[in-house]
Amino acid sequence: MTRNRNGIEVEGRVVECLRSAMFTVELEDGHRVLAHISGKIRKNYIKIVLEDRVLVELTPYDLSRGRIVFRYRN
Amino acid sequence: MKPFPSRLSGYAVTRVADRHWHALDDDLVVGRGYAEHRPDGRLFVSIDAWHDAAFDRLAEAMLADLPAPLHTLVDEADTELTVRWRRAGFTIGRREWEYAVPTDPRVTGLAHVQPPSGVTIVPAGQTDEDLLRAVDRAIRDEVEATAGWRSMPAEVIPLPEGDTIVDPSKYAVAAAPDRYLALVRVVTVIRPRIGLLAVRAGERRRGIARALLAHTLETLHRSGFDTAWAEVHESNEAASALLEGIGARPAGSNLELVR
Repeated sequence: MTRNRNGIEVEGRVVECLRSAMFTVELEDGHRVLAHISGKIRKNYIKIVLEDRVLVELTPYDLSRGRIVFRYRN
Repeated sequence: MKPFPSRLSGYAVTRVADRHWHALDDDLVVGRGYAEHRPDGRLFVSIDAWHDAAFDRLAEAMLADLPAPLHTLVDEADTELTVRWRRAGFTIGRREWEYAVPTDPRVTGLAHVQPPSGVTIVPAGQTDEDLLRAVDRAIRDEVEATAGWRSMPAEVIPLPEGDTIVDPSKYAVAAAPDRYLALVRVVTVIRPRIGLLAVRAGERRRGIARALLAHTLETLHRSGFDTAWAEVHESNEAASALLEGIGARPAGSNLELVR
């Protein structure tokens, strides 16, 4: 987990693809968060599917929600 | 660049770089906005914000700073984000279907599909680069003269001006003895994406695209991929019919919004 001016970023794995372009991501510590895709990822046609390893930025207002800001290659 | 913070709705918005904005709640970044040009010159924007108010403030600041027209891409299923952009004055410019394409010949029914007489398939990595660039240029000119390249699903890889082929090894082609007639580009980062499948205008309705697709999907299947991805403009009924005819299913849709 890293914390910087942008908030908290945590690595995780996509375990569920939901409606409304949302995903359930299981974080390294086993917690699950509801996440959507960042605009930059969407803009570049990067597709997120089940089992993808991703970096999630958690909202400072609600640690059960976040946005996927990066998809790892493996 | 000197930032020029403004503070309305409880958030300060600061332009932190030429094409990068922050919405701040005290010292915490609660929203970010980006702008970037695509190779075709169109300016695309995106905003990530935790709250409507931060989104609206970022949109207001970016729209004031950037020249029209502006474009953005949203997942059509993401109604919340779509509503935010519409509130900022964006309207739907086009819709793309996102297809999941099976590769197994037993599913696609393409196992015995052959190119028409006089046409051969040249696999990726074995093409002649000069002929490849010639057919790519010709197809792009034909598209530009009809539907317009901007109506195609966007190509987002930055390329040198005038160049449209970043890696010739990603292309397979259908070839006549003296020239290429059609091409397909597949890029695999994690999973394969069919980024382009096109046939010269005078060579259509001969089964060339189908044969090229059969070769491409069979190659992917042998490499261990069971699915490929492709985007199709909603008005491109021929492409949708081709894909749906081999068992591809729409897995979602993207909206390009314009203001």
